[in-house]
Amino acid sequence: MTSPALALAPSMAPPAAEPKLKVRDLHFHYDGFHALKGIGMDVPEKQVTAIIGPSGCGKSTLLRVFNRIYAIYPKLKASGSIELDGENILDPRYSLNRLRSKVGMVFQKPVPFPMTIFENVAYGIRHHERLSKADMEARVELALRGGALWDEVKDKLKQNALGLSGGQQQRLCIARAIALKPEVLLLDEPTSALDPIATGRIEQLIEELKSQFTIVIVTHNMQQAARVSDQTAFMYLGELIEFDNTEKIFTKPGKKQTEDYITGRFG
Amino acid sequence: MDTLYLRRRITNAFALALGTAATLFGLAFLAWILWATLRQGIAALDWKLFTKITAYGDQGGLSNAMVGSLIINLIGIAVATPIGVLAGTWLAEYANRTRLGESIRFLNDILLSAPSIVMGLFVYTIIVLPSTVLTHGNTTFSGFAGGVALALIALPVIVRTTDEMLRLVPSTLREAALSLGVPQWKLTSQILLRAARSGIVTGVLLALARISGETAPLLFTAFGNNFMTLNPLDKMSSLPQVIYQYANDPGDTLHALAWAGAFVVTLFVLLLSLTSRLLLSRKVSHD
Repeated sequence: MTSPALALAPSMAPPAAEPKLKVRDLHFHYDGFHALKGIGMDVPEKQVTAIIGPSGCGKSTLLRVFNRIYAIYPKLKASGSIELDGENILDPRYSLNRLRSKVGMVFQKPVPFPMTIFENVAYGIRHHERLSKADMEARVELALRGGALWDEVKDKLKQNALGLSGGQQQRLCIARAIALKPEVLLLDEPTSALDPIATGRIEQLIEELKSQFTIVIVTHNMQQAARVSDQTAFMYLGELIEFDNTEKIFTKPGKKQTEDYITGRFG
Repeated sequence: MDTLYLRRRITNAFALALGTAATLFGLAFLAWILWATLRQGIAALDWKLFTKITAYGDQGGLSNAMVGSLIINLIGIAVATPIGVLAGTWLAEYANRTRLGESIRFLNDILLSAPSIVMGLFVYTIIVLPSTVLTHGNTTFSGFAGGVALALIALPVIVRTTDEMLRLVPSTLREAALSLGVPQWKLTSQILLRAARSGIVTGVLLALARISGETAPLLFTAFGNNFMTLNPLDKMSSLPQVIYQYANDPGDTLHALAWAGAFVVTLFVLLLSLTSRLLLSRKVSHD
């Protein structure tokens, strides 16, 4: 639907319903390095949006701005605006607690907390809500089912989470993130540390989760982007080169750079 | 070509031989010390070591010194652990990569290698001397003062290990917790300290091993006592100090007692080291 001419407009997206995340003129600086150069994009609700591009293009940086996790490190600065349901999350008045309960994140390497499987999921919930023991158990079960992990761990909830396999740990991390009932789920190369079978399960899970969550996934694996996403954004050197329906990006991209990357001519 | 390979092989053999010789040289002394301690110590082992006090001299034992050592070391660790863990946590989690943090880390490293006699004199000046005001000029050496002197030696060890163990925790664990909206203090106290727990406990055990052999800091603080006391405000005896005293004596019986004391201290330190290794290896297999 989007013609190349429209790509010059401040935002690029199929003009569907009101976007979940509205990014406008986003710039990001790492202590002097200009990592994001005026990004504008509309992330549609309850769809999977993939961000692809060569290493160092700024795709992870962009994801890390969406929940302001970058703010824990000194000398990093974001400017511009990102509206989540119409409110600018980059505004310092937007509470981090609120933002992080609405925007969950899963990282490249599975990082379970040094606690039991149950506690890993309950830990985050407990920070935001007071629940009775029974309610908490129901909530943890729901999250673990959501993470497609329940059947494998239901008999060992009291065991240390570090004893799970890498793929199970990553699904635990997804369960932990969705336990907070976020609206947006950020996945930062969630399968890059996993074997093909575990990767397949995560991809299947993403497919199941998109009916409930708006998912943004950063991946260096183009086939993965093609398999799991509805929209794909291609970034290069800190700029958003093209953002369109995944099918269009992979079959008839509007930009030469996108085509070169997709066909493996660089990257 | 052949001569090139030959030369490499000879150089390799030569370097390997030098390295092995250096290792053996170092180990030989360690083995010698351990052997002498073991042989003379075991020969001098006797029940009265644990039942009689030093007041009986060559007819006596070391029980008051053992109890004193235990109390003084416990005071040292009890004082140093909370301060050390808190300071190490602050360095790693709140002041990492700041100029202030780096300066304090540097000062802590200096403290780590400060001569232990200086610690003794320092505590003598700030605790032992001023408290004579309370006793109308009577001497105020005490097990407590000895414990504080040992705490000053244990402190930098604990700060350093806590700091290092926390900095070994991957930053992704911090990001994962923060991305759930968990505040920094909860992250630190409930997740990071738990993840680094076995490393920190190891640091405390190593600090305990380090201070249990210290003599110099106790000379001006705990002073020594030929009688059994459990009161930390009293002068107190300790194994290293009795070993020092008996080793300076010309009598052979007292030398034997000193060897027995040395054996007990060495065994204690060995057990602590083994425990800490066990803890660390369990942690590694856990990850």
